[in-house]
Amino acid sequence: MRQSERVAVFAVLAPQGLWSLAWSRLCRDTLGLIALGVVVMYLAVVLAAAAGWIAKDWSHEAGVNYAPPNGWIFSASPSEDRLPVARESIQVTPVAGVVDPLAPVIETLRESRLALAQEPQRLATLPLGADKWGRDVALKTLKGTQTSFIVGLLAAFLSVLLGSLLGAYAGYFGGIVDDVLNWIYSTFTAIPYLLLVLAIAAVLNQKGISTVILILGLTGWTGVFRLMRAEYMKHRNREYVLAAESIGASHARRMFYHILPNVSHVLLVQLSLNVVSFMKSEVILSFLGFGVGVDTVSWGSMLNEAQTELLLGKWWQLASATLAMALLVTAFSVFTDALRDALDPKLK
Amino acid sequence: MVMVWALSGLELKAQPPVPSSAPTAPSALKVLHLTFQAAETGFDPAKVSDYYSAVVISGIFDPLLTYDYLARPAHLIPNVSEALPTISADGKTYTLKIKQGIVFGQDPAFAGRARPLRAQDYLYSIKRFVDPKNRSPYAFLFLGKIVGLDALVSKAQKTGQFDYDAAVEGLQAPDPFTLSIKLTETDFNFSHVLAFPLVGAVAREVIERYGADSSAHPVGTGPYRLRQYLRSSKISLEKNPLFRTLRWEALPSTDIPDEAIRKSMQGKLLPAIDRIEISIMDEAQSRWLAFLRAETDMEYQLEELAPKFLTPTGELKSPFREQGIQLDRSVDPEISYLFFNTAETIGNQPNPIGGFTLPKIALRRAIAMAYDVQDQIAVIRKGQSVRAFYPIPPGVAGHQSQYRSSLSYNPALANALLDHFGYRRGADGYRSHPDGSALILEYASTPVERDRQFDELMKRSMDRIGLRLSIRKQRFSELLKLSSQCRLMMKQAAWIADYPDGDNFMQLLYGPHTGQSNAACYRSASFDRLYEQSRRLPDGAQRDLLYLQMTRQMEADTAWLLTDSRYRNVLLQPYVVGFKKHPVLTNEWIHMDIDRTRMKKAPAS
Repeated sequence: MRQSERVAVFAVLAPQGLWSLAWSRLCRDTLGLIALGVVVMYLAVVLAAAAGWIAKDWSHEAGVNYAPPNGWIFSASPSEDRLPVARESIQVTPVAGVVDPLAPVIETLRESRLALAQEPQRLATLPLGADKWGRDVALKTLKGTQTSFIVGLLAAFLSVLLGSLLGAYAGYFGGIVDDVLNWIYSTFTAIPYLLLVLAIAAVLNQKGISTVILILGLTGWTGVFRLMRAEYMKHRNREYVLAAESIGASHARRMFYHILPNVSHVLLVQLSLNVVSFMKSEVILSFLGFGVGVDTVSWGSMLNEAQTELLLGKWWQLASATLAMALLVTAFSVFTDALRDALDPKLK
Repeated sequence: MVMVWALSGLELKAQPPVPSSAPTAPSALKVLHLTFQAAETGFDPAKVSDYYSAVVISGIFDPLLTYDYLARPAHLIPNVSEALPTISADGKTYTLKIKQGIVFGQDPAFAGRARPLRAQDYLYSIKRFVDPKNRSPYAFLFLGKIVGLDALVSKAQKTGQFDYDAAVEGLQAPDPFTLSIKLTETDFNFSHVLAFPLVGAVAREVIERYGADSSAHPVGTGPYRLRQYLRSSKISLEKNPLFRTLRWEALPSTDIPDEAIRKSMQGKLLPAIDRIEISIMDEAQSRWLAFLRAETDMEYQLEELAPKFLTPTGELKSPFREQGIQLDRSVDPEISYLFFNTAETIGNQPNPIGGFTLPKIALRRAIAMAYDVQDQIAVIRKGQSVRAFYPIPPGVAGHQSQYRSSLSYNPALANALLDHFGYRRGADGYRSHPDGSALILEYASTPVERDRQFDELMKRSMDRIGLRLSIRKQRFSELLKLSSQCRLMMKQAAWIADYPDGDNFMQLLYGPHTGQSNAACYRSASFDRLYEQSRRLPDGAQRDLLYLQMTRQMEADTAWLLTDSRYRNVLLQPYVVGFKKHPVLTNEWIHMDIDRTRMKKAPAS
C-alpha cells in the first residue's frame, strides 16, 4: 500500500507535458468540447462512408424527380410545376427500300419477352427530398461529406505543411534562403488566384479528388508561408532559442522542437481557415469543370446543381448541403479556437 | 404575305442626293431597344459568321431574295429582284432582274452622288466571299459551285491578289440590271443561297475606301443605316433616308395571331420603327431585369430563366400576362442530336463503337435505346424543347411532323440486345467486348454546368445497360476541331438552319462531308446515293421520299440519336406590335411597329 501511494504522489507531482496540459485546459472549455464532438461525428460519417457502410448507393434513383422533403426536417408542398411525363409508345412504320440489319434479332427478342420493360417504383417524398434525377439528397449529403471533408482536410494539411516548412526556412535562416523563397512566394502571389489554379489544373490535366487536393494544396500555401516566416524571424533571436543553441541544439531541433510549439497556434488557425476556404474552392473548381467527376458527389457539386434548381424553387438540395457545410465549418472553427487557447503557452 | 412596291424608283431619283432628314423631336421617335447576349464581330458581310453581326447586317444590306414574313414553312419571295429567279431546265443557270431605282445609303465614298444598285454589285459581293483575303466562313456557299470561280480563287492564292475585274463564266451581267449565275452542277435549291442575309450587295467604292476597316462602315441599300457604333457595347441603327418605298402588305389569313398582326401592320410604310438601339449584355439575369424595368422592348435570350415567366405548359405566368407582356413561342429550326463516330478507328486506336458489323451496330443501337431523351427534355431543358424524330426540324422545307423514329427508348430491350451479341457483364456489373477485352465509351462535353447535367444523364443511361463511360472535357472550339477530324467517339451536337431547306440538315450525314460538317463520320453507300439523288430535285414529294429513306437508313446504321428541338420564347413589351418569329430571318423588326397608345405614361419624376 505504502509503495503504491508513493507512486501516486509521484505521478501527481510529475511535470505535465504540453499536450496533456492542453487537453486538461480543453476539457474545461464546454463549447470547444461540443465542437470537437461535432467534428468527431463528421469524421465518423466520413469513415463510414469511405468504408461503404452508409450512403453506398447514393446514385440510386429512389424518388421521383425533385421529390420534395417529407417533413421530418424540412417540408415543402409537392410541386404543381411538374409536367406529366408519359412515355409515348411508338408505332414504327417500315420504309420501303431500307433494310434494318438488326430487325430480325430485335423481333426475336421482343417475342421472347426478355425485353419487357419494368419501371421501378419511385417514392413521392424523401426525408430531405430528391434532386433532379430523383436521387436522395440525404444520401448525397452524407456521401458529399466524405468528399468535401477529405478534400478540405488533406489540401489544408498539404498547404500548411508546405507553407510552414518553407516559411520556417525563410524566417529562420534569412539571407539568400529567404531571398530565394521570397521570390517563389512573390511569383505565386503575383498570379491571380484563379489563373494559378487553372494553370496547375491544366498541367495536371486530370479529374478527380486527388487532383483537386493537389491543386488546392499547391496554390494555398502562400498565406501560411508569410505568417510562419514572420513568426520565425521574431522567435529566432529569443532567449530560449539562444539558450537552446548554447547547449548545442542543431538548427533542425531549434526550428521544429523549440520554436514550432510556440507558433503552432498560428498553424492551427491557418489550418482551420484553409479547411474552410478549400471546401469553398472545391465548389469553384467544380464550377469550372476541374472539380470532381460525375460519378462523385461533393457539397461543391451539390451547390453547383442548386444554382439551376433554385430557379425552379427546389431549395432542398441547397439547404441540405449548406446546413451540413455550415455546421462543420462552424464546429471546426470553434474547435480550432479552443485548441489554440489550450495550446498557447502564454495562457495558463 | 406579299410585299409590294407602292412607288416607282423615278421619284427616288428626283430626290436630292443627300436629303436632310426632317428634324423630328427625339420624343416623337419610335425606338426599339434590343440586347445581344454576345458581342458582334463586325458588319462586313464577307467577314463574319456570327448570329449577332448577321442580325445587324440583315438590317443594312439587301439580299436578292428574301422570305415571306408570315408564311410557314419559310417561303421565298423576291426582295430587290423583280421576281424569283428563272431557273433553266437543267437547274444550272439562274437569271434574275434587279429592280431599277434602288440606291445605296449616303457615304463619303459616293462623293455626294446617288449611287444606284446594279447587278455588278451582287457579282462583286459574291466574289468577295471567295477572296482568300477575306477568309469568309461562308465561302462554301459558292466554292466549287459556280463555273469558273474556283480557277480565279486558285489564281488569287498564288498571286496573293484577287482579280475582281476578271471575267467569270458563271457570274455574268448581260445588262446593268440583269444577273446570270451558272452553276457547275444541277441545284434547284440555290435560291436559298441568294436569300441568305449575308449575301447582300456591298458597293465596291465603299469597300475599297475603308479597306481593313470595312467592318465598321456598312453601307447598303437596306431599310436601316448605322448611326452609332461602340464596339462590343452599343449599336444604334436609324432609318435609311434613301430607302426605297416599301409597304407592309398581306393577304387575309386564317391563322388568328397572323390576322392580328395583319390588322396592325397592313399598309404601313416600312420600316415603321425609327431607331433600333442594341446593347450587349452577357448575363441572362441582367437581360431579364432590364426587360422587367422596360429598358428593353424585346427579349429572346432567356433560356435558362424560362421557369421564371413560363408555366410548365408553356404559357406566360399570370403576373406578366396582366401587365400585357406578350409571348411569342415557337420551335427553333434546329435539331439537337447525339452522334456516334462510325469510323473503324479514332486516330490510330480502334473505335469500340465504330464500324458496320452487326455487333457494332447493336452496340450503338443499345446506347441510342438507353439514352433517356424524355429526361433530357423534362429535366435539363425544363420542358423548353420538343422531341425531334426527323433530321429536318419544323419550319424547314422537308420536315415531317408525323414521322416516328425507329430508335425508341427501351433499356430492357437494349440490355437484351447486348446480351444477345455477347457483351457480357463482369463482376462489377459492367460489360466487356464479346472477345472479353475492356469496353469503355468516351463521351465528350464542355466544362460548363449545363453540360454536367448531360454528363449525368449519359452516365445514368449507360449505367442502366452496364456500359462503362468516361467523360472527356474540353473547350467548345477544341471539341469542334476534334469532331471535324473524327477524333471524338460520342458527343451532343446541335445544328440550326442556315437556310430553311432540308438539304442544309441532310448534308450533315453525307459521306464526303466527313472532315467538315459530318461529325459522325458516317459513310454509307446507300445514304450517299440517295443524298446525291436528292440534291438534283427541287423541294417536293419526290425529294421527301428520298429524305425519308435516308433518315431510316441512318437509323438502321445508328449514326445519330435525334433528341430535341428547342423552343424560342420571345418576350415583348405590350406596345410592340407585328412580331412573329421567323425561322431564318433575324430582322423581324423591319416588319414591326411600336404602338404608342399602348405605352404606359412615364411616371412623373
